Amino acid sequence: LPRTFLTDFELMLLLATLRVGEEAYGAQIAREIEQTGGRPVLLGAAYAALDRLEVNGLVRSTLAEPTPTRGGRAKRIFRVTLRGVRAIRDTQQALIALWSGIPQLQEDRT
Amino acid sequence: MKTVHPPRLATWMLDRFGPGDDGLTGDLMEELEQGRSRAWFWRQTLAAVLYRRRTRRAVRPLLLVDRDPVLPHPAGRRVVNLTASPLPGIGGLGLVALALLVSIMSPGSWLVALAILVIGLAAGAVLGYVRGRRAPKPPAPALLGRR
Repeated sequence: LPRTFLTDFELMLLLATLRVGEEAYGAQIAREIEQTGGRPVLLGAAYAALDRLEVNGLVRSTLAEPTPTRGGRAKRIFRVTLRGVRAIRDTQQALIALWSGIPQLQEDRT
Repeated sequence: MKTVHPPRLATWMLDRFGPGDDGLTGDLMEELEQGRSRAWFWRQTLAAVLYRRRTRRAVRPLLLVDRDPVLPHPAGRRVVNLTASPLPGIGGLGLVALALLVSIMSPGSWLVALAILVIGLAAGAVLGYVRGRRAPKPPAPALLGRR
């Protein structure tokens, strides 16, 4: 199978979805990125990227029951597919390979 | 707990111009309910609308001339050929739109177009008749046989 590489935002979205767990929905995923990753997220951007990931088969979404607090709107639950997990690993390996052997970055560490 | 109502205009904008995703609108409402400000709601709404415009799939409706309406498109892109034309360079819906536009802006133009069409047809008919009369008639096969 061809390797899939993710943008930094896509990678963060997939990792946050995995961190949140079974009931991950847009606002939770965005909050996880903001709190753990320290990156501010616009929900519209998150949904646009999640749509793109779903088209490529890296996440799957299902609609939950609508609730009154959401104005009767259904919650969209996201789950990372096996292909998504593989894409995370491919991207991780590529980044680690690029990371290694850069003296400037090693100096920064010390 | 006090119910917080989202700005109506913002939700209308999300439904009308946003991604049309109940998940997103519901998430925004839920966040508002949990203490986010209305300014935050508006900021997210406007950003969602702008993102929608930026990432909208490349469907070009009502083009008068479509560059390559029948060429295959890259995989993964959902493209609808709204020109409804099998011929490259000619857009069916584009022509309909042009006709509507002309009808609204200048209905009198149709009379000019009709007059030109009638004159053209008449001229074509006259030319055909004249050429037909001038052309020499081929001899009948029966007469050739007798000679």
